[in-house]
Amino acid sequence: MNNIRNFCIIAHIDHGKSTIADGLLEFTGTVSQRELKAQLLDSMDLERERGITIKSHAIQMHYKAKDENNYTLNLIDTPGHVDFSYEVSRSLAACEGALLVVDAAQGVEAQTISNLYLAVDAGLEIIPVINKIDLPSAMTDTVKNQIIELIGCDESDIILASAKTRVGIEEILETIIRKVPHPQGDENKPLQALIFDSMFDPYRGAIAYIRVFNGVIREKDLIKFFAHDQRYQSEELGILRLRRIRTGELKAGDVGYVIAGIKDVHDTKVGDTITLSKNGAENPLPGYKEIKPMVYSGLYPTNSDDYEDLRDALEKFRLNDSALFFLPETSAALGFGFRCGFLGMLHMEIVQERLEREYDQSIVTTLPNVEYYVISKNGEKIVVDNPADMPDAGTIERIEEPYIKAQIVTPSEYVGNIMKLAMEKRGQYKNTTYIDPTRADIEFEFPLSEIIFDFYDKLKSTTRGYASLDYEYIGNRPSSLTKLDIMLNGEKVDALSVIVHHDKAYEWGRKVCTKLKDLIPRQMFEIAIQAGIGNKVIARTTVKALRKNVLAKCYGGDITRKRKLLEKQKEGKKRMKQVGNVEIPQEAFLAVLQLED
Amino acid sequence: MQDLSLYIHIPFCDHKCIYCDFYSIIKHENINQYFNSLLTELSFYSENLKKKYVIKSIFFGGGTPSFVNPELLNSVITKIREELNVDDRVEITMETNPGTVDKNKILLVKSTGINRISIGIQSFDETELKFLTRIHDRETAIKTVYDFYESGFENISIDLMFNLPGQTKSVWTSNLKQAVELPVNHISAYSLILEKGTILNKMVLDGKVKMQDEDYDADLYELAIQFLSDNGYRQYEVSNFSKKGFECLHNLAYWRHKEYLGLGTSAHSFINNKRWWNYSSLRMYMNSVASKGYAVRSSELLKPDELREEYVMLNLRGPGLNLKELYVKYGNTWYEHNKKYIDKLFQSGFIIRNDNFIKFTSRGYALCDEILSNFH
Repeated sequence: MNNIRNFCIIAHIDHGKSTIADGLLEFTGTVSQRELKAQLLDSMDLERERGITIKSHAIQMHYKAKDENNYTLNLIDTPGHVDFSYEVSRSLAACEGALLVVDAAQGVEAQTISNLYLAVDAGLEIIPVINKIDLPSAMTDTVKNQIIELIGCDESDIILASAKTRVGIEEILETIIRKVPHPQGDENKPLQALIFDSMFDPYRGAIAYIRVFNGVIREKDLIKFFAHDQRYQSEELGILRLRRIRTGELKAGDVGYVIAGIKDVHDTKVGDTITLSKNGAENPLPGYKEIKPMVYSGLYPTNSDDYEDLRDALEKFRLNDSALFFLPETSAALGFGFRCGFLGMLHMEIVQERLEREYDQSIVTTLPNVEYYVISKNGEKIVVDNPADMPDAGTIERIEEPYIKAQIVTPSEYVGNIMKLAMEKRGQYKNTTYIDPTRADIEFEFPLSEIIFDFYDKLKSTTRGYASLDYEYIGNRPSSLTKLDIMLNGEKVDALSVIVHHDKAYEWGRKVCTKLKDLIPRQMFEIAIQAGIGNKVIARTTVKALRKNVLAKCYGGDITRKRKLLEKQKEGKKRMKQVGNVEIPQEAFLAVLQLED
Repeated sequence: MQDLSLYIHIPFCDHKCIYCDFYSIIKHENINQYFNSLLTELSFYSENLKKKYVIKSIFFGGGTPSFVNPELLNSVITKIREELNVDDRVEITMETNPGTVDKNKILLVKSTGINRISIGIQSFDETELKFLTRIHDRETAIKTVYDFYESGFENISIDLMFNLPGQTKSVWTSNLKQAVELPVNHISAYSLILEKGTILNKMVLDGKVKMQDEDYDADLYELAIQFLSDNGYRQYEVSNFSKKGFECLHNLAYWRHKEYLGLGTSAHSFINNKRWWNYSSLRMYMNSVASKGYAVRSSELLKPDELREEYVMLNLRGPGLNLKELYVKYGNTWYEHNKKYIDKLFQSGFIIRNDNFIKFTSRGYALCDEILSNFH
């Protein structure tokens, strides 16, 4: 155990976490240059494309240090996005140390800070690293000062590195050996192993990635998962290199995997503790939370005949993603589909994209919303995760919506712009601290619903891309909210209903009506688009009737082409959704997301 | 014996107009050789067709058929008469562009048996004619009509074009007025289509020319339908109007989903539920005919659903859909599926119907593609 070091890398997106990891793996000979794909630990296509690590994995390295001893280093990767902050915290809990990587050209960002706080809270030894020092735009001294300000270290503690040219990699390894404490724990105590991640293998079922804190786990052991009190027999144990390597047992201090014939990842919850069924630990390791969706959206098959296919795909998907939640729902406009819950917007986008790409589903998604608590006049509390289900305004005492604490790190010249944006988004200013004279760390509280639409994009554009954002849920609060409906020729389109703040209802209604006017193609009759609260219409636009749609010529040489064109047109119509007489293109249901000013 | 229509493509033109996407050639050294190929290709098909078919119409399209020596057209007609059964009342059309014929040539044309003339006038407005890069002016256009008429042609059609960039309603109206004053009993009125690969398309993409919006196009179309029907021209297809009894038999055959054989470059044929089309390139066409006797580039065998789809589409675009005939050919599923929608179309004034026949109204023709795509 004395020669084991368990550590992770925390960094803001694109600050070079993956290239640092690559450098370590290559330097220790864990993988050769040839085996190194661009970003090794990010194995999903989507992750590589987006340049973000969504799901954490772990990898073991062997390193002969300058002190001539052989060490086992377990690098535990962490997700880099705010949607997955709970998962980050569990990955951190599996480590004793963390590399804090900061880009020499970008400096400290919101995620650097939020993840750093998580790491400090978890009691980890922090090793600051400034990466990309060879960039022409590097401002290494400034960033040094930011880091010193942030964590109160000595300048000499900061490692200067360039993962790309492998500068500083050896120093990082030596510092890990020297500074990160070896794991504590007792092999003779009852087993306590933390699940910090899991994945689904179609042949082996759910595979839990674990860090053993106490005791020993062996193959054929009868094991127990605390969260749901599930029991399984362990089938295979081992460590993680580029592939799984079977070792038969894992002891206190080790990081590895366990396979136990578990049918899906819902029994291998991140943060759960595994112990032995007999003579097991009395208590789980601290810190487990049931994760709860924060953002909801309706997912519908493009073609209503594909409902069963979509259900199958969601069920398969859920085997690998314990955070995805879904229940069947029906919409008058969209037919049969599912109300799905996600950890956040990124999670939602990833799920939708993977359903389309990997599961070959064609889906329509509705405008995302948060979960509301509706307190009725008779004191009853109803949880509403679909605006269409909002009870009658007359019966409602109050509505509560989720709030978040947001941390925005920005060059100080953009503070004014951010304050303005925050006002528009119903933000409440809390506090500013300066990381250095040019860099502010501002704290706000926002309704989550204001963040999930276009906040991030707006923040980026109002700060020319310099500001960064992180946030955490802080609870529900009462708000002055109202349900806004959209009607087409008098028929309500349930999938377009939204819950908005009173003060914004008119603006929202006007924008949606205008947007829909552009998106709904002209049809054989005039279409009235109305936005209304209760029975009161607050905005209206009209799509004029189509007057001419015919190709002038169709002679002997045109017929095949004309028939194919017609078939294509019919195919296009099938993709449209019907409300009353009106055909609505699928994009309309999401286009409300991109409402321009 | 079954009816068959013959289409013969003459790809040669004096020059290429900016809006034209047809396969046409402005080099003329191969004209004689091309006609030889046409005769060879005709012979290739005629043996099989002779037993079963009678030719109801022949159509020389282009290109500019009137551009070539009428003797060449005559050689084709003569060979058709030799090798196939030709109906006594056969309609033989030649497409003509003003400025390519004089009285002498017209007499030669007449002697070939060609009895219907379709003249690509497009406009009587000098500015529009220049814009379209036509070789003729207003005077030549009018003179060409009279030259044919005075030489004994009774069945004369002219093409007009609307929705040209910048075209005012008054210019369009005066074009229509001029048309109906002439001795023509058939008028095709086409909305200008922006085709890919045309010079006009490039001009629009480059921002040099702006097309008009679709509502204005609809206005001009309505104006044409109203004006022509007021003057005794009945709409029997999206873009075609005629005095009673002067519908184009050849085109009606297309719109009634009848069989046709096409000869020459890029020509399409439809026989025995199979459609095939020839090479567009003059060189490939002639090489293929020389080595194999035919020049088919590609073909498709239509499935029952596709046949029905075409049948409905063409009849509705054209003279109207005979539900009884539809039932005999394809059963009653189509009608059953669309009955409710047809009722709605009738109530909203997009179709007229009696007994077993439905036909678009002028509003229906205007929305033809939209309505067709709403059928199941």
